[in-house]
Amino acid sequence: MQKEKTVSSFTIPIGPQHPALKEPGHFLITVDGEIVTKTVVRLGYAHRGIERALEERNYVQCMYLLERICGICSHIHATAYCHAVEQLAGVEVPPRAQAIRLLVAELERIHSHFLWLGVAAHEAGFDTLFMYSWRDRETVMDLLENMTGNRVNYSANLLGGVKFDVDDALEGEILKGLEFLEERTHHYLDVVKTDIMFLQRTSGIGVMTRRQAEVLGAVGPTARASGVARDIRVEAPYGAYVEHPVNIILEQDGDLRARFIVRLRELFESYRLIREVLETLPAGELVGRVPRRIKASETVSRVEAPRGELFYFVKSNGSDKPERVKVRTPTICNMLSVIKLAVGHQLADIPMILTGIDPCFSCNDRSVQIRSGDNLQVLTWEQLRQFGA
Amino acid sequence: MTKTEEALALASDMMENWAWETITVRPEPNRLDATLKSTDDLIPIVVALRVKRLGYLSAITGLDLGVEAGELEVLYHFCAAAAVITLRLRLPREAPVVPSLSEIIPSAEAFERELREMFGVEISGLKTPERLYLPDDWPEGVYPLRKDFDPSVLQ
Repeated sequence: MQKEKTVSSFTIPIGPQHPALKEPGHFLITVDGEIVTKTVVRLGYAHRGIERALEERNYVQCMYLLERICGICSHIHATAYCHAVEQLAGVEVPPRAQAIRLLVAELERIHSHFLWLGVAAHEAGFDTLFMYSWRDRETVMDLLENMTGNRVNYSANLLGGVKFDVDDALEGEILKGLEFLEERTHHYLDVVKTDIMFLQRTSGIGVMTRRQAEVLGAVGPTARASGVARDIRVEAPYGAYVEHPVNIILEQDGDLRARFIVRLRELFESYRLIREVLETLPAGELVGRVPRRIKASETVSRVEAPRGELFYFVKSNGSDKPERVKVRTPTICNMLSVIKLAVGHQLADIPMILTGIDPCFSCNDRSVQIRSGDNLQVLTWEQLRQFGA
Repeated sequence: MTKTEEALALASDMMENWAWETITVRPEPNRLDATLKSTDDLIPIVVALRVKRLGYLSAITGLDLGVEAGELEVLYHFCAAAAVITLRLRLPREAPVVPSLSEIIPSAEAFERELREMFGVEISGLKTPERLYLPDDWPEGVYPLRKDFDPSVLQ
């Protein structure tokens, strides 16, 4: 038998149990030596069929389901959905409720960015930064828990308003927490800008030019780190962002370092916004009345999630259930940029490049399927309820 | 004029006064809906939007109008500032096909693959027709977001 000369390219499957992330996603990476030549992504491991399930639930039930699309940005999903339903029903949301929505959204952004900072630092092998940033993140988690009773799915929104009010005691706690977080953010910004070891992992890695970011359709901090001014809070202000304008944070370098800096600088903007809102919190009602049945119509709702633009399309049909709810999350927009950017990099940089966009797979995938042996088992809603009980 | 108004004015000029026969409506102050006559018009209009640098493709929505209506709708949402310009295509439920936009807008690919899996809309010219979201052993010809989807086929 003649020995064949092997071709130098090699394909490495990474995932679905991903070494870098706590969520499932499959990447097929072709390498030539250490250099990546092609990346293929396969999603759907956390696909739960939420869009379909929404068509069989009423507007109120839908909100609870939508909040559970993602554990990190649950509030923003509910906000996008509420805006759409309120728009369809023609309901005015009281100003105080709008302000509180903004407050929770910005607190959520703080916790999400801190979480990301920790995960990204961990990927870079900088576990000290990971532990410190997650310790500090507890401050904002406590604030959210004190406000809503929950650390994760706060469920602060109601159709037509919010459930929770802010009193003086809570306001004091928030201001105190922000003071601590602000000081820490200055420190972290200093670290990501000056730590030599860290810069070697971030500076000049995964560079996305402004043109590329535009063509690849990047959104959120990933786009803003490449100088693309895309922030829904600025471009199309919604809710209380109309009264409290946001200053857009841009960086031009487009590398991982710039993505760190953009997110950290955005935190200062969030602190400023929260203080401004607390100072000018309008008095009044918390909830407007939303009818159970909503006349047939369609609307689009766009909000700025911590990871970028979150797009909702809601179609009503006159009943108490939506005809269709389409959810387009920011991660899918940014995923393409990873696949394209990875080419030409060292394999070891891939986890960092992937983490750089702050991917959220549960947002991205949206059936409950349980595999036992080779049988694909599908549970009905009743079975699932019994299973969960 | 704000950026949003500029974008809407330019888009309505394009849709109404250019050669394509589109039906435009303004359902909400910040939205422009253009129903295209034929799928052949899609590529030229998208090219024109790109040339004019009018917004970016924010999402592609599939809608099933039901078995009685026998039609699907595909909505391409382009956003510029607060403006949302929607290109609307009506397709037969049996064998629907739309051309792929990925040559013009690379980011369209992921949206098109989702549309294909969930609604069974064939995307002509799609370079990566593999599944993105649904499991590998998902039966062929079963589309979960169509109104007549019956989960019992999976058992």
